[in-house]
Amino acid sequence: MNINRRTLLRAAGTTAVASNMAALNVLSQPALASELARGDKSVIVLWLAGGASQLETWDPKPGRSTGGPFGKIKTNIPGVEISELLPKMSSRLDETAIIRSLNTKIADHGQAYELMDVGRVGEPGVHFPHLGAIISHELGQLDSRVPDYVSMYTSTEGRRQGSAGFLGARYNPMFLTDNMMPDDIHRLESMSVVDHQDRAALRDFFAKRFIRDLQNPSVGSHENAYARVHGLMSSDTLFDIERETSAARDHYGPTQFGQQCLIARRLVEAGVPFVRVARAWWDSHGQNFETHRELCADLDHCMSALLDDLKQRGLLEKTLVITLGEFGRTPRINGSLGRDHFASAWSCTLSGSGIRGGTVYGETDLDGQTVIDGEMNAGDLFATIFTALGIPYDKEYMVGSRPIPIADFGSEPCREVLA
Amino acid sequence: MIPTNLKRKAEWKSQDILFCIEQDHANGRVWFGSSDFNIYEFDVASEKPQRKAFSGQGSRQGHTSYVTGIVRAGEQLISCSYDRHLIWWDIDKCQMIRHVDAHAAWIRQLVVTPDGSRVITVADDMRCKVWEVSTGRLLASFSDHSPMTPHHYPSMLYAVAISADGRWIATGDRIGHVAIWNANTFEKTGEVEAPILYTWDPKARRHSIGGIRSLAFSADSERLAVGGIGKIANIDHLDGPARLEIFDRATGERKLDLEDNKQKGLIERIVWSPDGKWILTAGGANDGFITIYDAKSGELVHQEGQSGHIHDLALDETFDNLYVAAHERVTRWSMAESV
Repeated sequence: MNINRRTLLRAAGTTAVASNMAALNVLSQPALASELARGDKSVIVLWLAGGASQLETWDPKPGRSTGGPFGKIKTNIPGVEISELLPKMSSRLDETAIIRSLNTKIADHGQAYELMDVGRVGEPGVHFPHLGAIISHELGQLDSRVPDYVSMYTSTEGRRQGSAGFLGARYNPMFLTDNMMPDDIHRLESMSVVDHQDRAALRDFFAKRFIRDLQNPSVGSHENAYARVHGLMSSDTLFDIERETSAARDHYGPTQFGQQCLIARRLVEAGVPFVRVARAWWDSHGQNFETHRELCADLDHCMSALLDDLKQRGLLEKTLVITLGEFGRTPRINGSLGRDHFASAWSCTLSGSGIRGGTVYGETDLDGQTVIDGEMNAGDLFATIFTALGIPYDKEYMVGSRPIPIADFGSEPCREVLA
Repeated sequence: MIPTNLKRKAEWKSQDILFCIEQDHANGRVWFGSSDFNIYEFDVASEKPQRKAFSGQGSRQGHTSYVTGIVRAGEQLISCSYDRHLIWWDIDKCQMIRHVDAHAAWIRQLVVTPDGSRVITVADDMRCKVWEVSTGRLLASFSDHSPMTPHHYPSMLYAVAISADGRWIATGDRIGHVAIWNANTFEKTGEVEAPILYTWDPKARRHSIGGIRSLAFSADSERLAVGGIGKIANIDHLDGPARLEIFDRATGERKLDLEDNKQKGLIERIVWSPDGKWILTAGGANDGFITIYDAKSGELVHQEGQSGHIHDLALDETFDNLYVAAHERVTRWSMAESV
């Protein structure tokens, strides 16, 4: 049965108003229950482009030859310790699950990025959609007046837009690169506000008559597209952090990453289902410890500020915050005091919606060389993310006559980190 | 004479990273600090030198992070570490004798005054501190270095030097700022800027690399050499020219700036010749280099490379032998035959 998500949500809302008992009956239908579980959820990915070191963040090994100079610190979760470079996050792990057992095998930037973007190894002839496209497809509203998917990647190194693949261009991101305000969504300067409004009203007048008289779904869809463009044009204010109080801006700090995290919060608050903020570039082949002193300070502050803000606004329970890159970094320290690419045993975090906070899943050996417990691959991580959001991870898309599950074949969600 | 016959005489490989080294001029041994958090005695005069680790005292076993500096003061060694502590060690007993919680962040370097009475440290709390060797008492704490870079990231205070006459202290940070201090009053007397030693990448990678990693006054205290790495296009690597700048200490005027694109990387240590005619620099990227410059003309007179980034070096009193602490090795170099 092909159930339209929007129709279901509206039906459920109407029913709930009419009768509590009827609402319970509706909820007993698995398809609708799943739709409602998704609710108005959102995802923010903090993309640590270039590959952050797990040893300097979530899986420290002080005292080992691979451990580097940094110590580990206690957190607000008894028995859980993280790098001393993340002091603010150390008191905020109650909403966060740490996964220390990613083994994604690919340690080349391009291929690894693709893997962690689509959750599976590519196949010739199939354009798999990236995570943001899937989430926006699953959580976005057809008639939404805000973007479904916003991706901010202002550094140039490692920048990739990603593709919605077989889901179609409708699910490609609004991709912000040069600045933090979308291009080409402003009214033309040559047109006055009044003129713009008048034109829209005139078009609306004829369009409504046309739809009423023709009763054709394609015409309705065309009208939706116009409404969507108008919505996007008015969404430019979402990117304007000057509309925030100075206290709110100060809370996120002065760095570009902080400002982008604040925009991310504004976007999910307005109903954008998927936002990615890329913080490049962690590729510390030389001077790994100096680089992580800089970048972890940024990550620690901005991630903490974001989680605090989302929580304070009641948004964290419906927002999943993912901290992830394309891989981690080698335990071995090279001659330049750097760490190289490493995909065999690395870490990520999941915070907020659908996540059992305070958990640590998986374990690496004493030197961080291999996963010794709870190994996860990219597909498992994607299955976990989908499940946290109430999206069936075994749901299939039909590409021609071929069913393709949204999480890779054989993937399983990590139940231990799910609420 | 400017040494032109620098030759590697010995190499002792290891599994750890050696960050600092000090030489015992009388007994043919060196001490070094390691990434395994230990201080070691190493008898380089013996046929097969063995390491002997210094030991802690009571419940305190020594440093708990990389050992970044070591100096000799009389019959004691004093070491510093990223663990924020200073430790005094008895040389004969190879044992800890004093421990001081010295800084609020990583200690990057320490030097001892020429008379051996004081030790001076710099750390990422951006403070320079002066300690009395005999008691471990803090005598002064001062700073002219911003804790944050202009781009809102934590800065670092890497380098410190004391002049041969004991009158001047220089401190240098990540963004290329050098402050010069009166070593008796601890008042700032001057400053120089070497901003090329700091690379901020605002577009491609959005972080920084570099900083002032080495400082040294000439023997007459009139010139100050500043070392690090020049501008880097790809800051993922130490793929930039080793850069040396020489300033007039009194006026702050830049006298020379030298870049070496053949042996790239950081200049980690600078040594002036006693007559002030040449300068030896050492450092590296993945591997190490030793370079000798004519201090007047800036001409590169001699250069050698070695496996393993060089973090520190120690010269004997005659300048004949050079001991190098490097990535996974100690090496000995000879400069005995010079023109």
